[in-house]
Amino acid sequence: MVSTVLNTDVKQKDSEHAVVVAVASRAVFEQGAGGDDGVYAEGMAFPLLQALQKVNKRLLEENSAESLLFDIVLITTDSQQQQQSFHLISSTKHYGLEVSRFCFSTEEDFIENLLQNNVHLFLSTDRHEVSQTSQKGVLSALLDEYTASCPSEQLRVLFCGDAVIRPGTNQTPASRQTAQTFSAQLGKMRQKFGISDSPLSIALMTSCGGRDSCGGALQTLRSLGVSADEAYCLAGAPRGPILSVLRPHFLLSNSFGVLED
Amino acid sequence: MSEMKPSDVPAAEDSSEEKDWAAAKAFFDNLKSNKPRPPKPRFAVTIAVSSRTLFNMVAERKIYEEEGLEKYVAFQVEHENEPLKPGPAFPFVKALMNVNCRLRELYPDSEELFDIVLMTNNHAQVGVRLINSINHYDLTIERFCMTGGKSPIGYLEAYMTNLYLSKDSEKVTEAIEAGIAAATMFMPETENQLSDTQLRVAFDGDAVLFSDESEIIVKQHGLDTFFEHEKQFENKPLAQGPLKCFLEALGKLQRKFYAKNERMNCPIRTFLVTARSAASSGARVLKTLRSWGLEIDEALFLAGAPKGPLLRQIKPHIFFDDQMFHIEGAKDLGTIAAHVPYGIGQKYNRGKLIEQPAKKE
Repeated sequence: MVSTVLNTDVKQKDSEHAVVVAVASRAVFEQGAGGDDGVYAEGMAFPLLQALQKVNKRLLEENSAESLLFDIVLITTDSQQQQQSFHLISSTKHYGLEVSRFCFSTEEDFIENLLQNNVHLFLSTDRHEVSQTSQKGVLSALLDEYTASCPSEQLRVLFCGDAVIRPGTNQTPASRQTAQTFSAQLGKMRQKFGISDSPLSIALMTSCGGRDSCGGALQTLRSLGVSADEAYCLAGAPRGPILSVLRPHFLLSNSFGVLED
Repeated sequence: MSEMKPSDVPAAEDSSEEKDWAAAKAFFDNLKSNKPRPPKPRFAVTIAVSSRTLFNMVAERKIYEEEGLEKYVAFQVEHENEPLKPGPAFPFVKALMNVNCRLRELYPDSEELFDIVLMTNNHAQVGVRLINSINHYDLTIERFCMTGGKSPIGYLEAYMTNLYLSKDSEKVTEAIEAGIAAATMFMPETENQLSDTQLRVAFDGDAVLFSDESEIIVKQHGLDTFFEHEKQFENKPLAQGPLKCFLEALGKLQRKFYAKNERMNCPIRTFLVTARSAASSGARVLKTLRSWGLEIDEALFLAGAPKGPLLRQIKPHIFFDDQMFHIEGAKDLGTIAAHVPYGIGQKYNRGKLIEQPAKKE
């Protein structure tokens, strides 16, 4: 059973042009006791949502009729949390989050739900969930402790470009297509801002190859309409310390499958 | 001051680090070209160079300053297939590459090598021209950070940098304050002809290898007090200065050549070029070095004479000094000089106390 609830506090986006980002609700809120007033505490992905909203805000400042905006959807599959749907919706409204709609479904149905909702990117803290959606061709990224909870002045997206060395799992033509579509949309969004003072920063990182791998990846991104702001070529150097300085909100692997460990 | 490298790594990170390392090794081993693979950072002597020290970007910098960032980036992209000309750190980098060749011959499996990293806050689109230029000269630089405007200091630490060279004195100061050896590079108008078989590095003593404690005495109490003080404390080692660890790293690599009987043919040579005099204040310096277990190949005591002419004879690939007066003197006579913005020397210009402008917010 799938049900969708529109958020009446928020203007619905133009479905033709918006970039639909579905986020697992358990990543956005700490859904524990829910507090006395029924409002949830902020979860790991809360700053990420704020960063997405900041981009929208700036896009509308540039052009009040802009239709290339992030369309944020909260996905809930946990049936226990579905019973808390009232708290979820009221918490969202309480924080003034720019969530267009809430989708509630079972674990079996939710991927179908994502596909039907034309979701361009799915974000979750659940590795298993992200792996499943990826395999079905939905561009997905795992939110973990390096990501998501970074300061929200700027949305920071990291492309990991090592598919040359480590081909991604289950790269189907469909998943490659969705990855390219999202990249192109992101690239277009980025172009609407100047080089400095952008609410969106696109970074590229290659872990294993040398400078030519990274140079090649920069060119590939260019061909997709993405002009990267930052580039990091590690050539085998440990990525942990670099990531903790880079602080992306989420990582997309070039193969656009699940980022391997 | 900066320690060499951390030797303990948390176990959880170890396995994913090892995976990345193994994958990189496999990548380079499988390349058709004979490109040497970059060393494991933990064991390497990591030198981070900025884009303006590696390449001559004076004309481009002018565009940035006069026409703004957008025009600058557009210009770089338009010209990205034109290689840039060499900058002040270029000869130094070539000399490092030569040392690596010699080390690889003697120790084919060792990771104790120089690792040269390009550390720039340039935009990644400018980076394409930088990569093309590196390719043009076939420099062994496989690691880089292009931060798109953000401060590179965090990345210096993440890369376990042993020495950072930049043209931006603010970044250099920030690095030194973070405990990383760093210096601001200056290009002479005409360069001396430098060795292509031996890396030659010259250091000033006080406030570079050593702390500025003695310099404070000179500035505040004069030379006579300084001489008396140094004689009195001849046997007390001076405290460390910001470049001590870099000298130590060079010494470690030198000993690898000595171990293989290559002392007479060692491709690294170090020089101390100090205004101290041998008779009165030199002993303390040599004893300090000895107490640290460090060797310096040649110690030159100038007793206050200008450093420029002597440096022109030595022909180092780089000369580190904390006082701009000496940097200018070196530069005027063709030596590539690097200013270390540390210690009391920064508050003085040619012996006079500088009026401090209000600190920029």
